Amino acid sequence: MVSRIGWPLAAAVLLTAGILLSLGTGRVWLDPRALIDGIVQPKPNLAWLILAELRVPRTILGLLVGATMGLSGAVLQGLLRNPLAEPGLLGVSAGAALGAVIAIYFGLSAAFFLATPLLGIAGALLAAALTMQLGRGGTLTMILAGAAVSGLMGAGLNLALNFAPNPYAAYEMTTWLLGSLADRDWDQTLLALPFILAGWVCLILTRRDLDALTLGEAQAESLGIDLARTRLLALAGTALAVGAATAVTGAVSFIGLMAPHLVRPFVGHQPSRVLLPSALFGAILLVFADVATKLVPTAQELKLGVLTSLVGAPFFFWLVGRLRRMSP
Amino acid sequence: MNRRTLRSAVLAGAVLVCLPLACLGAARAGRAPEPDSGAHKPQRIMSTNLCSDMLLLMLVPRERIASITYLAHDPVEALLPGADRGVAINHGSAEEVVRDRPDLILASPWSGATMRKLAAQVGAPVAEIDSADSFADIRRIVRQTGRLVGEPARAEALIAGMDRTLARLDANRPARAIDVAVWDGSGSVPGRGTLTDAIIRAAGARNIAAKFPDSRHSSYSLEELLVARPGALMRGTDGYEAPSLRDSAAEHPLIRAAYRDRRVTYPDSLYSCGLPQSADAAARLRAALMKTAAGKVPW
Repeated sequence: MVSRIGWPLAAAVLLTAGILLSLGTGRVWLDPRALIDGIVQPKPNLAWLILAELRVPRTILGLLVGATMGLSGAVLQGLLRNPLAEPGLLGVSAGAALGAVIAIYFGLSAAFFLATPLLGIAGALLAAALTMQLGRGGTLTMILAGAAVSGLMGAGLNLALNFAPNPYAAYEMTTWLLGSLADRDWDQTLLALPFILAGWVCLILTRRDLDALTLGEAQAESLGIDLARTRLLALAGTALAVGAATAVTGAVSFIGLMAPHLVRPFVGHQPSRVLLPSALFGAILLVFADVATKLVPTAQELKLGVLTSLVGAPFFFWLVGRLRRMSP
Repeated sequence: MNRRTLRSAVLAGAVLVCLPLACLGAARAGRAPEPDSGAHKPQRIMSTNLCSDMLLLMLVPRERIASITYLAHDPVEALLPGADRGVAINHGSAEEVVRDRPDLILASPWSGATMRKLAAQVGAPVAEIDSADSFADIRRIVRQTGRLVGEPARAEALIAGMDRTLARLDANRPARAIDVAVWDGSGSVPGRGTLTDAIIRAAGARNIAAKFPDSRHSSYSLEELLVARPGALMRGTDGYEAPSLRDSAAEHPLIRAAYRDRRVTYPDSLYSCGLPQSADAAARLRAALMKTAAGKVPW
């Protein structure tokens, strides 16, 4: 089939285009030639600083976060055999946000530099464990459990903001939670990197088990799959990667929902084949979304999370409509 | 009962109920002071806005203040230490209007609607004090408040003090205006038409964010900051010890290194309310800018 051979090429082209656009655009327009000149001219010069200190870490962070969302979305959809599974819908992002808010506003991140990602991961882990525990038993239960856990984490978040010692907390955090890659630096990117990579490893290790799971839980176990181990890996991987990513960028939703669905027509429905393409398309989607936020000419920065939600929500409607048509 | 008699009965009932209320209201309104006369001095003044709290504390003796807002304490410590000792506080709520029984309420145009309604019912006149975004605004609201509380002479003295400081600042402007930006990590930068911009101009510096056409409080990215190459960065300190996002995460290492000796901090309380002290804020800012490193940033 042509599309099965063609997709790596398309992905490579799109990814390269996304990276070049992300490096070439910003709130300040710099001529691409000036940017290239900046690399060879004596440093520090303006073009070099903007490229090396701002745009490169931002692009890398965008790729990491997008791939994380795409990968965890694909694993969760495979594990739960549920087309609507996604870190945001299962409450994982909200849990991570709660952890990060506690770390920032109760002075933990000032005292210990790893506190924000670690608490983000802890929050994500708690939320994911709760959803998976409560939601066993079917598509509907899982989505309901996700909504309940999201609600709980949201309440916890509001409670933390309510009692935050700093009066600016509510405003700052509400804006931060809209999600953004703007003005992140190398330190923040490198801080999140090891956790994100460890999460990816856990998620990829579930690959074979996910294929067996398409037959059903009992059949998978009869094939020798240790389901408890698979769940634990998916849980830990999602919590590590999404928790660390959310702690740096705030909540960026719907990428994890869209990416697997976008690649399935090209690579087929076997879960293990979906993982890598989904991660790639997650990264591509996020980088393009971030470029769009930079190109929209508004006085206030358009937040990345707002844009992905605006694009993602109609997609969600379409998915729901399709599920209704398919279900008897 | 036909329709017409029903209607007249309802009307009569309404009049019967409303008449005593109206009389009561009129009687109370009669007791309330004429805000513009200046002859009658209100004795129980309630302020429901942080900025009018400060004005009130400067204009009238403490015995005549019914209450000020709960937000006032920290800024008062910074501007007028000890001035609010023994003064009751309020949270701008309707119930506190009943509790304090004020004869004048100073409010901002954004005060709670329920509070206003109740204030109208207990007969306390509500005076709106605008927020000040320029020194002309400050003169206007200080005069207005002075007239309302019956202390116009005191208000003129405060304005004269401010104008002396401003004149002194204007007489010896620095030879070269430094480009500055307010950069506190929140991404929001005060531009043209803000009090901060007025203070920066009075200090003899140039606010780089004022160049943009629509920028009262626009977000400003690091890229734009690097391109604008300000000579110094200003940062407000809120006096709250509690940790916040803008303290912990927002500072890019690049900015931290390049602006190590090009930084000015100022107390937020001096810049958030337009007061006669805003001129002192400008004087302080000029003194602080003199001490920052000269020359251009390295790029």
